[in-house]
Amino acid sequence: MDAFQGLLTGFQVALSLEGIMFVLIGVIVGTLIGMMPGLGPISAIAIMIPITYGMDPAPALVMMAGVYYGAVFGGSTSSILLNAPGISGTVATAFDGYPMAQQGKAGKALAIAAISSFIGGTVSVVLLMLLAPALSSVAISFGPPAYFALMFMGLTAISSLSEGSTIKAMIAAVAGFMVVTIGIDPQTGTQRFTFGNVNLFDGFDFLIIALGLFAVAEVCMLILNRKNRSLSDDQKLGSLKLSKADLKEMSGPVSRQSFVGFLLGVLPGAGATIASFISYIFEKRIAKNPEEFGKGSIKGLAAPESSNNAATSGAFVPLLSLGIPGSGTTAVMLGAFLVLGVQPGPLLMTDRPEIFWGIIASMYLGNVFLLILNLPLIPYLAKILSIPRPLLISLVIMFSLIGVYSISFNVFDLYMLLVFGALGFAMRIFSFPAPPFILAFILGGMMEQAFRQSMTISNGSLSIFVDTPLPLSLLLVALISLLVPAFLKWRSNRLAYKQR
Amino acid sequence: MKKTIFASVLTVSALAFAGCGSEDASNTAGEDGNFEPSKTIEVVAPAGSGGGWDTTAREVARVFGETEIIDENMTVINREGGGGAIGWAYVHAKEGDAHSMFVASPPLMFVPLNGQSEHGHEDFTPLANMIADYGAFAVREDSEFEDLNDLFDQMKDDPESITVIGTSAPGSMDHMQFVRIAKAAGVDPTKIKYVSDQEGGALTAVLNGSVDVFSTGVGETIEQVRAGNIKVLGVTAEERMEGEVLSEFPTAIEQGIDESFVNWRGFFGPPGMDEAAVDYYEAKFQELSESEEFAEVREKYGWNEMYMDSEEYSEFLEGEKEEIAALLEEIGLGQ
Repeated sequence: MDAFQGLLTGFQVALSLEGIMFVLIGVIVGTLIGMMPGLGPISAIAIMIPITYGMDPAPALVMMAGVYYGAVFGGSTSSILLNAPGISGTVATAFDGYPMAQQGKAGKALAIAAISSFIGGTVSVVLLMLLAPALSSVAISFGPPAYFALMFMGLTAISSLSEGSTIKAMIAAVAGFMVVTIGIDPQTGTQRFTFGNVNLFDGFDFLIIALGLFAVAEVCMLILNRKNRSLSDDQKLGSLKLSKADLKEMSGPVSRQSFVGFLLGVLPGAGATIASFISYIFEKRIAKNPEEFGKGSIKGLAAPESSNNAATSGAFVPLLSLGIPGSGTTAVMLGAFLVLGVQPGPLLMTDRPEIFWGIIASMYLGNVFLLILNLPLIPYLAKILSIPRPLLISLVIMFSLIGVYSISFNVFDLYMLLVFGALGFAMRIFSFPAPPFILAFILGGMMEQAFRQSMTISNGSLSIFVDTPLPLSLLLVALISLLVPAFLKWRSNRLAYKQR
Repeated sequence: MKKTIFASVLTVSALAFAGCGSEDASNTAGEDGNFEPSKTIEVVAPAGSGGGWDTTAREVARVFGETEIIDENMTVINREGGGGAIGWAYVHAKEGDAHSMFVASPPLMFVPLNGQSEHGHEDFTPLANMIADYGAFAVREDSEFEDLNDLFDQMKDDPESITVIGTSAPGSMDHMQFVRIAKAAGVDPTKIKYVSDQEGGALTAVLNGSVDVFSTGVGETIEQVRAGNIKVLGVTAEERMEGEVLSEFPTAIEQGIDESFVNWRGFFGPPGMDEAAVDYYEAKFQELSESEEFAEVREKYGWNEMYMDSEEYSEFLEGEKEEIAALLEEIGLGQ
């Protein structure tokens, strides 16, 4: 069966009354879950597994897929309005989305996020449809050395994620590295910095760090500067309309990052969170005016938003075509497949074409639904900002606590949320940037594991990183991105010196 | 004043009620020595949703309910973390509670032996074992190795040339099942190179040739074998398994390596569970294991039937533990 015929089968599933209904339920549930700070698609899908017992697998899986990409779509809302990431994939969205909302452009920011998400989602579904079978070879092309090189490349961006002091950015990054080593080391099974406390054996969940450093720290700042009565400096929600110039500005990042996000999503282990960070850094690196990033740049908002949605569809490539779950969410999805009696893997496309293509076709539909649902909601959502501050602060704290508790129903995690909130607050006061900490935390763990796996495989020889073209080229890109800015700086200094 | 009296009356009656409740629960053994659950039974899956423990717990609870073998409700709760240690600590604190149990498999032995949990299987009350699963050792389809002996011969000549990958940490299941079989074949267990990948990259690393052997559960290999991506050199079962692709997998024993490993899965109660309650549950689990409905579940997930009652189960676990502890000691991971 070729892709076209397959897609026809898929649309027969997706466009049936049942199909439309379940896509709709999925994306609505997903958007709502995504909007709540801390509540993510994992818990939503987990809750659905027992509900879908005995259901026909195609509509059940179409619905769960809808929850997943719906949550990534909706997760941007609380990142933008409250600086409280809805899900881990939308942490980078807050970097520029929240400043925009503070400048009284909340409506515009939400519209940019929705449109970028829609385009990222749709482009990647097209790629998924055309390339899923071929891409499964990309998904498996990355071995441990290539993962190490990819993560290393991402880390070279730490300096560009910071405002002001590079030294402070480095200190924050080192702190992130230190925190990610806490827990049982997967390569030796040794406990590191757990102090024998069983709650620390698994290390910290990313959401605890993200909500602590962003949401709780932000709340502390709001309490400190309580002159303004509402969150937005300018109480107006701002116009929703995007000017031609705005559209032009976002077109570049959106078109580039839809592809970047999709490819990173395809790699097992990378996923929406890493994709959104790398896309943000990518755009900042090539921007003519990188100094605007972090202060409400349209590009800085559009890049992670298109990328994280594209990565979500990308994550379906290894899941559907190889049966490999590339992230926590897709691992739970894999469980859901098995419970429904469907084995995802290389044979899914031929054995159960209605499921394989049904999910893909439903994503077209789901993305359209999401756009239609979300755009008219923006004015109402943005009204959150005019909620009186004491109420809003309590709500953010409450949702952060619920979100963290729902990760593993462990009270210890709540204390840790407060610890990281206090850390984030201290970092704000002494102007240490939080993004390098977060980036080191996300990439550092995988980078260390990939490095040590490589060392075991190569019997301790570092040449494993340069013997094959893939890791070598990634390391070269990293090297260039480190050297070029330094060289440019040196040249401009020299020119200035000569002119004197 | 009136208010205070009212409040204290309320408190007293609340206490009295609470007293009744707990009396009810502990006295259900009754005079004739029989136990009947009197409230909802809590089944703990010491892991997140969607994994093996969670699926087993949910399917068991569902079939118990649908077949009405147990009339009371059974609810599954997830207590994730520490490779199970957090869930075990949670159940351990419910000493004597006859309405609480959890699902377990070999990690209940491996994790404490690796020093990562205070509680091991001997701290709980074994109720019954239900199913068995086995390990498989797979290589890429185009690999030069045709059977386990090819692989192990190479490992004896040049142990550095072979890397084994698995999902669990060193000293845990994927690692130790391989060590156990390889040692029986004469490979030096201290020289086996094992890497762990817990982010879903293990199969990927085998497919792209970064590592040589994938040590995993048989269930994980079936689709990939059917698609012609990998081949299974051997499985850890005692005898050939039944099933479409499964029956093609040779056992290690068939290849002259006299060793096996079973990934058992069963249920445990908190410490100090009443004798009558243990009798009750082991009978119910046996009934479930023999039911047609549960046979369908086993078939759906490719699990094998392996019922053991409480006593048999304890003996089996003691034997396993001794062997694993000795093996861990030998490779330098014992605590």
